[in-house]
Amino acid sequence: MTTIVGIKTKEGVVLGSDKRASKGFFIGSKITQKIAKLDDTLAVAIAGQLSDAEYLIKVAKAERKLAELRRGFPLTVKESSRLIANLAYSGLKNYQPYFVELLVAGVDQDGGHILTADMSGAITSEDFASSGSGSPIAYGVLESAYRKDITNEEAKQLATKAVAVAMERDPGSGNGIDVLAIPNLVMEVAK
Amino acid sequence: MAETGGYGSNMGGRYPYFYGPEGRLVLVDSALEAVSRGSTTIGIKTPAFALLTSHIKPVRSLIDPAEKIFAIDGHVGATGSGYIGDILQLIDELRLEAQKHRLNFESPIDVASLAKHLGSYLHNYTIYAVRPQAASVIVAGFDQTGLQLYQVDPSGTFMRGSGFAIGQSADVALDVLQREYSADMSVEQAVALSNTAIERALGERPVVEAGVVTAQGKQFEKLP
Repeated sequence: MTTIVGIKTKEGVVLGSDKRASKGFFIGSKITQKIAKLDDTLAVAIAGQLSDAEYLIKVAKAERKLAELRRGFPLTVKESSRLIANLAYSGLKNYQPYFVELLVAGVDQDGGHILTADMSGAITSEDFASSGSGSPIAYGVLESAYRKDITNEEAKQLATKAVAVAMERDPGSGNGIDVLAIPNLVMEVAK
Repeated sequence: MAETGGYGSNMGGRYPYFYGPEGRLVLVDSALEAVSRGSTTIGIKTPAFALLTSHIKPVRSLIDPAEKIFAIDGHVGATGSGYIGDILQLIDELRLEAQKHRLNFESPIDVASLAKHLGSYLHNYTIYAVRPQAASVIVAGFDQTGLQLYQVDPSGTFMRGSGFAIGQSADVALDVLQREYSADMSVEQAVALSNTAIERALGERPVVEAGVVTAQGKQFEKLP
């Protein structure tokens, strides 16, 4: 169930999600937060088992903070994604998989990045991505309107539209839309 | 009764003591002493490159000299002074840590993390009744934070800097480095400087092995 989308823009990254948590054919919650911020530069959108996703995010948040303190500068988005994917992969290989599909979105020195990480431990880097039961519908909207030079403001509207359209036809998604935009880091002028 | 050797009289003669009467770790001091008998080894860093050189002791004409400059990962190299067996183990520990980082984060490790890891690895040998590793290591590399040069000692101490000398007569060699270092040296000039430093320290023209990483090339390479 769920519809989540992530869009890479020229100004950063944008995440969008619906707010429905399903319990079979019952709507378990209408105000679910499916976008979790790890810190000011990295966020994850959740599709799948909420408990598994929240645990993964908690561990990733701690490991990311720890790595930054130890080496003196933060993990890149790709490094953070590999960290999460490794956790997912070890879960899979221990016959206790995390039933999740995550969109990892963040900004680092190289700009914005959108990556998907699933329960198999695979990660792919994308310009835009969607996950959850509403994703085939959301992808239709994204495919038709995405441009590489999209701004954060336009991407927020596109993400909202993609999730809204998915909510119209996917019974697993609904009850409102959350959007998060992360702007690129302000680069310091080279000394 | 006067104590002899490295065993406290009230310990049943089983455990070597750690602290000497002056409050120093005697085993670590001995390891440092062993390092100071190793071949003279130098690290020089400028804004353009980081250079490692190590004196090769010509033993016998029929015996190939041991390798002294080691690639740790594509962007990092290291050298050491002390017992060669201990150096090799520390080099392997660095290589392992570099590859672990690539597995865990899919990115090259930064040099500071390598130096820190080696520092804590060596520190472990100072808190148990074991033989501390008799090797100091100089690590050079290029990472996200630029060119880096570190020295790591048997005590677990690690230092960042632009010029290091370890091994036999290291203090003499370091004096030469401090006096004649300049930030706009070329690699060739730095090799010549390290040759001078080693020559001054040992009183003989040295045979050296060298490796360099440049800010432009970003890869550690042994010099021919």
